[in-house]
Amino acid sequence: MDIIVCMKWTPDTSEADLVIDKDGKEIKKDTLDYDMNDWDRFAIEEAVRIKEKVGGTVTAVAVAPDDAEEMLRECLARGADEAFLLWDDSCDGSDSYATAHILAQFTKGRGHDLLLTGTLADDDCAGALGGLLAAMLGIPSSTLVSGIETDGGTVKFKRELEGGLYEAIEMDLPALLAVATGLNEPRFVSIRAVRKVAGIEIPVTAPADFGVDASKIGATGARIQIESMVMPPEGEGAEIILGRAEEAAAKLAEILKEKGGII
Amino acid sequence: MKQIFVLAEHRKGQLRDTTWEALAAGRKLAADLGAELTCLLLGTNIDSMAEALAKECPDVIAVDDPRFETFNSEPLTNALREILQDRKPFMLIMCNSNSIIELAPGLSVALDAALATDCFGFEVRDGKPLAWRQMYSYKVNTLVSFKNAENILVTLRGGFFQFTPEAGTAGSVEKVPSPLDDEPLKKRFLNYLEAEKGDVDVASADIIISVGRGIGDEPDMDVFQSLADTMGGVLACSRPIVDKNLLPKYHQVGTSGIEVKPKVYLALGISGAFQHVGGIKGSPLIVAVNKDARAPIFRVAQYGIVADLNQVVPALEEKIKELKG
Repeated sequence: MDIIVCMKWTPDTSEADLVIDKDGKEIKKDTLDYDMNDWDRFAIEEAVRIKEKVGGTVTAVAVAPDDAEEMLRECLARGADEAFLLWDDSCDGSDSYATAHILAQFTKGRGHDLLLTGTLADDDCAGALGGLLAAMLGIPSSTLVSGIETDGGTVKFKRELEGGLYEAIEMDLPALLAVATGLNEPRFVSIRAVRKVAGIEIPVTAPADFGVDASKIGATGARIQIESMVMPPEGEGAEIILGRAEEAAAKLAEILKEKGGII
Repeated sequence: MKQIFVLAEHRKGQLRDTTWEALAAGRKLAADLGAELTCLLLGTNIDSMAEALAKECPDVIAVDDPRFETFNSEPLTNALREILQDRKPFMLIMCNSNSIIELAPGLSVALDAALATDCFGFEVRDGKPLAWRQMYSYKVNTLVSFKNAENILVTLRGGFFQFTPEAGTAGSVEKVPSPLDDEPLKKRFLNYLEAEKGDVDVASADIIISVGRGIGDEPDMDVFQSLADTMGGVLACSRPIVDKNLLPKYHQVGTSGIEVKPKVYLALGISGAFQHVGGIKGSPLIVAVNKDARAPIFRVAQYGIVADLNQVVPALEEKIKELKG
């Protein structure tokens, strides 16, 4: 089973204080830490588990500048065999559509039975890349996938619907699966594992080198353009209980007693 | 006249509420853009669903094919491509449900259209629609325009578009033969699987103490269970806690877990992504503790504390014990 895993390098915004830049079309990113997209960590783990079970190869790929090398190095340490960064200046400003176009052109040139990625990325919150890429390649795809079992030319899995309901699906290979978080427990990466892959080269390839037309990608080729960004107003909604943590907790207990009738 | 289409969603032979939300957004956009509105229904044994839609939408296109029964994205995409290329609406509106996020990206490629997912509002500028959506852990509102494509697909965030029935609409149902050929499907629905049932019934609890990512990577769950016991409530959580195997799935609150309506919902370290908030709508008292003052949970909570949980939780339990006497 030859597996390609599409990884995304994203700013960690979940706990950070975010500020809109002066153009009002982006957040300030220079103070943010970047990391592997959370959902994709489950995808690379799943790829390696499938390889360990049925054999084959795992290739990790990201449309990202060379800062993202450490993410792909981590993929190698987790068990990927090869890793590629696809980038030059023409990629800058790509939306999901343009990114999928780059990945589709890259994938067409390589053998693959299965493509894996995360269902969603924390930065654009779009959840579209997997489906776009699969459609560009003409292969079936699914999202929010867990419980993956491969069997010869097919793959069986379940996907999450609403309210705790799942559906079981069977799909012909090659196929793309966008995984749900929590479908596995990503392994701990030891320092030894990282050292072992320190010498593996992670090439940065320009999309033009594998036949991508620059007008189809980046801000030029994107189909979604950001017009403006605003922070939702702070404090709208909750009445914030002030004071030191202990004082605030005491006031909260009173509120729970009075309004919630819990005592 | 310009055409806007809305895709009806169904599951197990019933229209889903998402359909009405999509229709509500469709009505508003059709009015703002001076467009005609049509509802598309692809299913099987669809007569009663089509009739219900015709009471609310002037034009309904209904296609019956057993391959649409389980909302399998492959036959739906193939059929929608044929129908939409023929009818040429400039915009297709769908809800951002778990079934439709499976369908929308592939359909946008098939139609060579631009796609914006999970939109919570729209604006019209120079006769063109722009969409509001969220980015960066759902913390930043972003207005996007569409380019490099003639047609637009949008999916809508659930719960943001209020549907009001319009009495007196007597729409017509146009039955269209299925455009699918006999090509075997590459993607096959096998069966539905119900969620695992546990020893805790979060759905019917009056008091819920719910924990999220903000409790840290190696939390002491006993601290939270103890608070829940003292408050006479049950312990629940958001998705990251289940993903980390800290609690089983049947504790998970949200649109993909359990939808709840307790008298008191205490959210500890929960940022309030819309998937979670969608599961606590209608709770009369929501209280949140989070160290991030901008966490979206504070926009749905009535009371909040911006502080470190490690300091708040023991103090809160102690005070509640004291009040109980």
